[in-house]
Amino acid sequence: MEKTELGSTTAKILVIDDEEIVRESCTRILQSQDYSIKTADNGEMGLKILDEFHPDLVLVDLKMPGMSGFEVLEEIYAYDATVVPIVITGYATVDSAVEAMKKGTFDFIPKPFQPDELRLVVRRGLERRKLVLETIALRKEKEMLREHFAAIVSHELKSPLGAVQQNLYALADDLEEILTEEQREKVTRLQNRIKELVTLINTWLRVISVDINKIKEQFEIVDINPLAQQALETVERQAVRKDITLTSTFEEKALQINADKGTILEAIVNLLTNSIKYTKMGGKVDLETKGDQSQVLIIVTDNGIGIDEEEITNIFTDFYRGKNIPDSERSSGVGLSITKRIIEAHDGSIRVESELGQGSKFTIMLPLAR
Amino acid sequence: MSKDVQLLIIDDDPDYVEGIESTLTKAGYKVDVAYNPKAGFEALESKKYDLLLLDIMMGRGAEGVMVARKINKDPVLREIPVLIITGIREQMAFLFPGQPVHPRFLPTDELLEKPVDPDLLLEKVSQLLILAAEKKSDK
Repeated sequence: MEKTELGSTTAKILVIDDEEIVRESCTRILQSQDYSIKTADNGEMGLKILDEFHPDLVLVDLKMPGMSGFEVLEEIYAYDATVVPIVITGYATVDSAVEAMKKGTFDFIPKPFQPDELRLVVRRGLERRKLVLETIALRKEKEMLREHFAAIVSHELKSPLGAVQQNLYALADDLEEILTEEQREKVTRLQNRIKELVTLINTWLRVISVDINKIKEQFEIVDINPLAQQALETVERQAVRKDITLTSTFEEKALQINADKGTILEAIVNLLTNSIKYTKMGGKVDLETKGDQSQVLIIVTDNGIGIDEEEITNIFTDFYRGKNIPDSERSSGVGLSITKRIIEAHDGSIRVESELGQGSKFTIMLPLAR
Repeated sequence: MSKDVQLLIIDDDPDYVEGIESTLTKAGYKVDVAYNPKAGFEALESKKYDLLLLDIMMGRGAEGVMVARKINKDPVLREIPVLIITGIREQMAFLFPGQPVHPRFLPTDELLEKPVDPDLLLEKVSQLLILAAEKKSDK
């Protein structure tokens, strides 16, 4: 149930305590602060008021006859985890207060308390509540923005580019007979730059659109070997263009993981594309799958230009581009960081071993499905 | 192979259509065009087509999906091979505002991303036509 209320500027506080004097003094002390206060003398009544009043903060006495403070706290948490709970304890029950805090209570105040002590604790609690609500609102906004942005960019930016490129292809074809060598080159340049632009847009979109948390909702049992095969087929064209030999060694037995098929495929394709990009013409890229009792290993090895020791720690950061890029390649620097995020969302890990001038080896480790 | 093969393109971007139509016509295919789902269905009902090239993002959203589903429900139309040419990537397909759309849910034979390499386009078209012919002869 959605109960966060951002509109009200007056903070609402609920005090649940069986002792009248505590309820009275809390009310007296806090009223001067311009808070809206309600009280209840037992847990059940308190929870009823909770539902109607929607307080920002609740002061709960741990030791009450009937429904215990702990029970009340659990119910509050279940009702709305953003409501800030603060327990009121006697000296004998400080341990219980700590216990409560371990379970999610924000703070505690021991009886008897000074007015200023109560005010301070409440103020801190309300600050916390404000931050929590702001975070929730920001997250929602970010989510909406992201979804709309992706949809808009996807269609509005890519459509015209797609049309331009498609017509360029057709035009180049039509004019094939009459274009000079130089003119043909110009057309090729045009096509290449547009291609890059389309790729860039796709990549940026990917950075924005990967909602790691949503991925887990789509998990199913996935067989690694056929997926690896698919990845190879996806990059075949690229490899052929650079005359790079693609080889593979797959584990004989079936390797299964709990995963989101699409993103794991993307991760493997990213590694392969990366290796192809950073390997010179005529080089080799190998894909291997291995499994042991607990995990699956997906290994991409190349004999490309390698990565400097200094740079290795940085390559998985967003937008990082290696210093050693082969001339003709352009990179937006997000492929590896997306790959890392995808793998980590699958409870896996990724590591790289590399030597400048010799090549690199990327290893993905994922837990086997039980 | 290309004599008298009738293709239909349903896509709302006339510039884009010009691009692929040109490539297809050059290769010897006869090409008709519809710029929206309604015109598309009218065309499908008026003539017998050998293959449909379908765009997903039309109008205000993923109208192409509706077209694909509707075709799949029709016993005659479902025999026509469908090549989806889309401006959106497979993995992002589920980001459609309001609607989860994923090629897995689409009754489609093949999916290509815009802009498409002319050679690749012709290859896929030819493949699908061959497959459809084989299916027919198996019956």
